[in-house]
Amino acid sequence: MSLTRDLMCELRARLGASAAMPPPPAPRHVEPLSVPRFPSLPEVTPLREERAQAVPAAELASPDVAVRRVSPLRSRPNAFAAEAARHTTALVGIGHVGTRYATDVVLQFQAELAVAHQAVDTVLPEDWAQSQGLLGLKSRVSDHREFLLRPDLGRRLDEPSLAVLRERAAKDIDIQPILADGLSAVACMGSGKRLLDAFIRECQSRGWSVGTPLCARFARVWLEDEIGQTVRAKVAAILLGERPGLGTGDGLSAYLVYDPKVGNTDGLRNMMSNIHERGTPPEQAAKRLALLAGAMLQQRRSGVSLDLSAIAAELGDAGTTGYRAAQERVRLVETQR
Amino acid sequence: MRLAASIRGTQYAFKSVKEVLAKANPPKSGDVLAGVAARDPVERVAARAVLSELELKTLRENPVVPYEEDELTRLVEDSLDETAFRAVAHLSVGELREWLLCAKTSGAMIRAVSPGLTPEIAAAAAKLMSNMDLMTVGAKCEVVVRANSTLGLPGRLSSRLQPNHPSDDVEGILYSMREGLCYGCGDAVIGINPATDTPESTAEILRAVDDVMRRNRIPTQHCVLSHVTVQMKALELGTPMDLMFQSLAGSEQANRAFGISVPLMDEAWEIMKAKGSTRGPNRMYFETGQGSALSSAANHDADQVTMEARCYGFARRYQPFLVNTVVGFIGPEYLEDGQQITRAALEDHFMGKLLGLPMGCDACFTYHSRMAQDELECLEVLLGAAGCTYLMSLPVGDDIMLNYQSTSYHDIPSVRRLLAKRPTPEFDAWLAETGIMDGLAPGPGFGDPKVIR
Repeated sequence: MSLTRDLMCELRARLGASAAMPPPPAPRHVEPLSVPRFPSLPEVTPLREERAQAVPAAELASPDVAVRRVSPLRSRPNAFAAEAARHTTALVGIGHVGTRYATDVVLQFQAELAVAHQAVDTVLPEDWAQSQGLLGLKSRVSDHREFLLRPDLGRRLDEPSLAVLRERAAKDIDIQPILADGLSAVACMGSGKRLLDAFIRECQSRGWSVGTPLCARFARVWLEDEIGQTVRAKVAAILLGERPGLGTGDGLSAYLVYDPKVGNTDGLRNMMSNIHERGTPPEQAAKRLALLAGAMLQQRRSGVSLDLSAIAAELGDAGTTGYRAAQERVRLVETQR
Repeated sequence: MRLAASIRGTQYAFKSVKEVLAKANPPKSGDVLAGVAARDPVERVAARAVLSELELKTLRENPVVPYEEDELTRLVEDSLDETAFRAVAHLSVGELREWLLCAKTSGAMIRAVSPGLTPEIAAAAAKLMSNMDLMTVGAKCEVVVRANSTLGLPGRLSSRLQPNHPSDDVEGILYSMREGLCYGCGDAVIGINPATDTPESTAEILRAVDDVMRRNRIPTQHCVLSHVTVQMKALELGTPMDLMFQSLAGSEQANRAFGISVPLMDEAWEIMKAKGSTRGPNRMYFETGQGSALSSAANHDADQVTMEARCYGFARRYQPFLVNTVVGFIGPEYLEDGQQITRAALEDHFMGKLLGLPMGCDACFTYHSRMAQDELECLEVLLGAAGCTYLMSLPVGDDIMLNYQSTSYHDIPSVRRLLAKRPTPEFDAWLAETGIMDGLAPGPGFGDPKVIR
């Protein structure tokens, strides 16, 4: 008896079948191949198309038209693409081959996709925080797959990290800066430290007390709540790799929250996205984030109720709660001949 | 009611219909996150065996969110077509599955029974079906709707044109829109997700799209997907608006997180009937997606397939012109990979069609989920074969605002050609007139945005 049959018997019995499974079929007698199995079937008349394809092999070898070189007809990027590029980064005016893309479009797209996937797949090394002189923490997540599947675990510190934070981090401070991997360790290891250092300098130059510089692995945005609450910071600022988009795996986002505590929701945060060389460079972003933190300290609140009208011009796109800023498109594939 | 089954001598008992429904669901990361998934594949089959014998009236009596606690449950229960329900009340879920698959059961027969089915019944049937089962029944269902043009006729595959722009640059939107039109896209709707959620920007985009549609006499519908309250204000400004949009979720509490309720949607629908710019009778556009209830902690310990079906129970009250599930948008914590996204797309399409909706699908993935571009292209063909009413279309499938990967301008004519499907008859005639298409083949104007003035 096979396992499958056992299983089926159980199921059938439970579903109320009166008889058990029929006995397994006896090995059938198979007729030898030489005997025609369906002698009574009429001869099949091929359809017209099928007949047309039934060309004798000899003819195939010598076609009527001598083909020397095959050249596909392809539409190339045109004036429309150039005009459109002034208004949108969408890939338009790209032409087509049949109903599909030209080869260079396929390669550009695949390169952009690969850059995004590589950024997501990269894991922040365990010793990276220490190598940068930062106090290393970890969320309750234990591996990369779990990080993607369990955002709830990425929002809380594991026990050892909580103990380290309680023992070694400065308490009762104005600002707690936190660098983190988020959804792109590539971005974190790229310009993360530059952004963190520049942000700390901006805060110190304003006379605020700044917490021990931290770096968290497998971290989601809301992790700043538990960290900020533990060190009793007025404002927590987490700077982390943002979810990669096509061709952009190195962008950082920053989320600031006043009075950080577990249970805060997104409406209580202000954010800035697209921090990288081709977007807002780290030093400029740091200035804007310090302005934002200043407004929070002054008004003792954050999120949708924070009034940013007085500093709107200087803030640029910092302080929004909306979508991420436009991405510049660069040609990714260059081949050498 | 005893809810138990044994497989190979192991006894599996379940505490509630809700638990049976959840554990019968194929593996989904969102059900694991919610803590309601079956603990192993054998328990999953045991749950399905129990589910297959439950009568439909038991499912009606056991909604996953109680009548007293939830306005969506009350809406479904109070407006259910009793005559249609009596025709199927005696069936078990297993028998319903077989009735749906039976060759003698036509699309018209399913359409007649549909107003008597609750969302929980549709979800239960989906859980007993394989992907091919879901496609077979989905392709049978016929849901035909009309606004400016006629959607959902047999042998048709339509598309939403989605020319989004991260800062609502109207010129940028129009460039992308012209490109999409010349690939034969946009017969379901030209729909833009705005970056700025204000009545003025909604009105500005709608007027610009309306101008292009009038100038080129394009037989389709337009829509800006801002919040419903914003669109209501835009209508008050005298804005042309063919379709009114809103995202829906599967419980009262989850809808509160979206800023909507049944009375608000009733009001929106009334305003749209009075002031919308289509001849109708269908005027609303809804989007849904598995996992949205859990993401606002409002899933009431139910699985995400059942919660999704409840969105359709809400949607059908408003006789919508379009409903689509945005199937991979929410991220890997709800649908981990290509297999789960594919399964969810086919489930949602089946459940929506079974409940009488013109069901489309935004087949898509975010860049941190495990779905390959090739899997997405396969899914488009599966959806087309399953009779999906419409797919999305974007330049190279890249949404430069919402930052995810969907289906492309080039994919729409490709899938149509593979499956010998045409756009809406009105749009089909327009494509022939402009020379964009020559039947299913590219015409002389194909891929040339200059044909759109």
